[in-house]
Amino acid sequence: MATSTTFWEKLGFRKASGVSEAGWGQTLFAGLISLIYFMPVLLIIITSFKLQTEALAVPPKFFPTTFFGLVPEAYVFTPTLENFTSVFSRAFTTGAAAQSTGFDRFFFNSMFIAGSSVLLALVIGTLAAYGFSRYPLKGNDTYLFIILTTRMLPAIVVIIPIILMFRIVGLSGSYPGIIFLYTAFNLPFTIWMMKSFFDELSPDVEDAARIDGSSELRVFFKICLPQVIAGLAATFVFGLILTWNEFLFALLLTGVDTRTVPVAMNQAVAGGGIGVLWGLLAAIETLFLIPVFLVTFFLQNHLLRGVTFGTVKR
Amino acid sequence: MTIVTKMKGVATAFSFAALMSVGGASLASAEDVTLTMAVPDWPPTRIMKKMFDEQYKSATGNTVKLEVDFIPWPDFYTRVNASLTSGEQKYNFAVSDSQWLGAFVEGGYFRKINDLLDADPEFKATMDSMHPNPLNAYSTYPHKTPNFYGFPQMPDVLVNYVRADILCNEDEQKNFMAKFSKKLPCTPEEIDDIDWDMFEMIGQFFQRKKGDMLAGKPADDDFYGIAYQAGKGYDFSSMQVNGFIWQYGGNIWDETQAPAGQAEGVVNSPEAVKGLENYLRLIQYMPPVAKTGTMDIFKSDELFREGKVAMNVNWIGLGEASLDPKTSKVSDKLVFGLMPGVRGADGKIIRWSNIGGQPFVLTTWTTDTQIKEAVGFVKWWLSPEIQHQFAASGGQSAIKSVYEDPKYVTYRPWNRAWAASLDWQKDVWHVPQFYDLLTQQQDQFDLAITGKQDAKTTLDNIAKYQQNLLTEAGLITK
Amino acid sequence: MTMTATQQQTPGFLNVAPDNWKLAIAVGLAVSTAAGSLLSASASFWVVGAMVAMVAASFVVYAYRRHYYGGLLVSPAIAVLFVMNIFPLLWSLGLSFYAYQSNQQSIRFVGLANYARLLTDDLKAPELWTNLTNTAMFTVLTVSAQMIVGFLLAIMFAKQFPLRRYLLILVLTPMMLSVVAVGVFFSYYYDPTFGLISQMVKSWNGEQFILFSSKTGAVAGIVLADAWMWSPFVMLLVLAGLVSVPKYLYEAASIDRVGSWRRFWTITFPYIRGLLMLALLFRTIEAFKMADLVILLTKGGNDTMTISYHVIRIANEQNKTSEGAALSYLMLFVVIVLTNLYLYIANRRSRET
Repeated sequence: MATSTTFWEKLGFRKASGVSEAGWGQTLFAGLISLIYFMPVLLIIITSFKLQTEALAVPPKFFPTTFFGLVPEAYVFTPTLENFTSVFSRAFTTGAAAQSTGFDRFFFNSMFIAGSSVLLALVIGTLAAYGFSRYPLKGNDTYLFIILTTRMLPAIVVIIPIILMFRIVGLSGSYPGIIFLYTAFNLPFTIWMMKSFFDELSPDVEDAARIDGSSELRVFFKICLPQVIAGLAATFVFGLILTWNEFLFALLLTGVDTRTVPVAMNQAVAGGGIGVLWGLLAAIETLFLIPVFLVTFFLQNHLLRGVTFGTVKR
Repeated sequence: MTIVTKMKGVATAFSFAALMSVGGASLASAEDVTLTMAVPDWPPTRIMKKMFDEQYKSATGNTVKLEVDFIPWPDFYTRVNASLTSGEQKYNFAVSDSQWLGAFVEGGYFRKINDLLDADPEFKATMDSMHPNPLNAYSTYPHKTPNFYGFPQMPDVLVNYVRADILCNEDEQKNFMAKFSKKLPCTPEEIDDIDWDMFEMIGQFFQRKKGDMLAGKPADDDFYGIAYQAGKGYDFSSMQVNGFIWQYGGNIWDETQAPAGQAEGVVNSPEAVKGLENYLRLIQYMPPVAKTGTMDIFKSDELFREGKVAMNVNWIGLGEASLDPKTSKVSDKLVFGLMPGVRGADGKIIRWSNIGGQPFVLTTWTTDTQIKEAVGFVKWWLSPEIQHQFAASGGQSAIKSVYEDPKYVTYRPWNRAWAASLDWQKDVWHVPQFYDLLTQQQDQFDLAITGKQDAKTTLDNIAKYQQNLLTEAGLITK
Repeated sequence: MTMTATQQQTPGFLNVAPDNWKLAIAVGLAVSTAAGSLLSASASFWVVGAMVAMVAASFVVYAYRRHYYGGLLVSPAIAVLFVMNIFPLLWSLGLSFYAYQSNQQSIRFVGLANYARLLTDDLKAPELWTNLTNTAMFTVLTVSAQMIVGFLLAIMFAKQFPLRRYLLILVLTPMMLSVVAVGVFFSYYYDPTFGLISQMVKSWNGEQFILFSSKTGAVAGIVLADAWMWSPFVMLLVLAGLVSVPKYLYEAASIDRVGSWRRFWTITFPYIRGLLMLALLFRTIEAFKMADLVILLTKGGNDTMTISYHVIRIANEQNKTSEGAALSYLMLFVVIVLTNLYLYIANRRSRET
């Protein structure tokens, strides 16, 4: 039994109370690393408050105020909220009145389309993963592998048949079409991920429940599923992130009403007869980041909960 | 009444009703016609839409709606291509780069308009009132034959963007004269008279480091004298290189000579090599990003607007951003002039250049009613009054009566270079293999620009590739 | 597995019965490929739809007759995947045996000519080889970087410490950015005149730093952006595994005074191995398709052209759909070989332990 506090415990990297807790030392260390990692994103967010003429300043302007003279003038820019309003409404030609850009619609579309397709994939995929895990067929590995191969080709290869298919069935530019397509995109990862979580569960508890007379359905919902919440959360987050930013299929398969933000984002690149509208692009990206950020933040707890049953690992 | 009589009565009633409805329909006047158009999302097209919404009235009395799909430039080709080739048949009009004509005409997507011109003498007159160079480039396929397809939406040429404040500065003038014994150009007329030798001297002279004196005060950052496009993407180097090749007496593969016109021997002729060498030699005086092969038209424009370059050769289409104080740090310090050229033996400058800009075309699935309205729209668009309005808002016009009007040069500072440039415009190939040829050429030019191979090897590689490809395609026969 | 009904014999392959799903799949695939090649687009689509329905029906019957829940559970996923993924893939595969250009109406069967040309033609073959080696190089570099950085980050976050929730989300953000934003902003960070890296270097030695002036620089720039974006993916997967290690195991280990290295291998690693493998697999597959960042940062300059970008140029810009399809299938072949290798190694390992 450890008696005195060790070096690491003093620094706060480890708590004497338990092996998986740490103190403020760890916080500082992790904080530094995290901030450095986050820096490029922070710069994008800062740019969203800059005017076009200050976005590319040399030396670069990081600070919105001089903090009472602590920061030299050269590094200070004048913050503006103009970019954020421009996202939703701006004048497309000099001197014209501001017009709605349709971005409110695009944000809604992105959220609706990504959300539905990931949920759908989660439901269908988890069921399938359970099936693959608990009722393995002889060629299980082959089937799983084929499912994986659907992710291996670049999108451009299948784009023409898919466009044709959509057009024939009348799905082009509609919500069900693109949602269905994204569900198919998310399925391979969902299946593989959830299967891996289901495989880790020990069957003892399940068998015990079955012997007690629970139906398969109850076993699934009451015993297996709660143990893989972490997997579900992670899969949801990943699926959301991947679908949220998908570009090529959205470009070619969404109509004006169903357009998503990544497609519309290019308005700020080589739009307006100019190279990059830095402030506008940064503002769009910052706003676009928020929904996914929030979802991930709130799902963190589930992600990190881990196994709480204390079952013995096989 | 007998059943027969009843039937007769009913039949009569029915036919009477039918007659009424048919007669009524033919008496009905206004129809709602929608024209769907695919355009790049930038000011010239936004202005066109605005002017249409505010001013257009169809001569036929129908209500015409122009549904415009504004597609950002980076995705423009992808979307339009996918839409056309997938059989979607969505657009009635599409803006097209002049070089895409061959690919899409052969695919059966772009509609030939000769019949429309022949049926409407007024329309034909409008087309004839265009300068032949843009007309050939934007409208004819095969190139320069009387088969017409398109109308200019935004014609464009390369011009010289110049920092008048830097060049006209007294100290700079004095020092330049001392160094080169030549006057540093300052006024628009002097700028027009710049040849590539002078351009090079300006490049050498204005290479300043941060802190060096620049126009009377220390430079706040590194400064460069010259820039033009030198990028790997799309056509962002070919458009400038072609100008050099033509000016030095060389040529690109000439599609109007097919199938006799060769690529070997023409593309890599000594004159062409000289042209490319000169293009490459000037890059050392440009901002360092040129050496990465990523200095496309947007990058060089951005550098110019941020005040890092004294003289930039670029499309007029990007000019608005330079004049707008919200996007340009040098908005009030600029003059514009003709693109530099090669000074001939007679002292006159040879200014061959690759034309830019976009036409718009009709698609083959547009119905007859739509065609009628479309012709009306095009005639309206190309009418001098509307073209003047367009130019006054920053657009350009290829119609002679418009750009030769004395008011034209007052619309924008670069308009003074417009009319003179048009005579010198040529174009790159329009054949269906255009993208294949362009991509290979751009790849090779990129190797030269980044210093990995010399001009001769580059052009030899290009010539060989083009010879093979075009022979296989049947466009070259020995 | 409960067996409440008498187990029926699995029918022989050719036994035409409603529950012979193997036969149904075979027939379905054959008919679909044939239809895709021979019939017009609309007709073949409906044929394939009918095939899918047939396969799905046979699965359901099979499953129902045997209380075979596996089939039932799996069939919705298979159906969706077949329609959305497999059918277009088969179509492209079929197309690769023709000489078809999407902007022309003609179509001509050429068998393996496209593949042969890609592998042997003087101009195309070396290009293919260079692209393949570049892609391999990128994949190795970026996946290794992601695995290492992701793993280290996961270790850092494994313990519960104050503010962990807030710091973790910061590190997860790079994954959430769109590629356009990352590409555009990173090319700004790397820019010699305006970029931050160049300015930092300039304050040292007065010269602008041109990262993309050499292949090494260009590759480094691309790999950095890509690894930065996706290391959080690996981190999250590994973290999910790390936190699921039962605490009492660690406590037991500390009682026994087990060294940290041994503790890691015997306790922690088994929990995260599966997830590490998953991360490796998926990141490799995605890395092989790398094109977006290359397009945005270098446009393939400085010899950074990847296979995926090349396919995009061929299929999209030049409309050489068949050639693009052939190239992609060659690429697919390589990826399949690679992933099979991974899985073989992973399965062997798990059989050993």
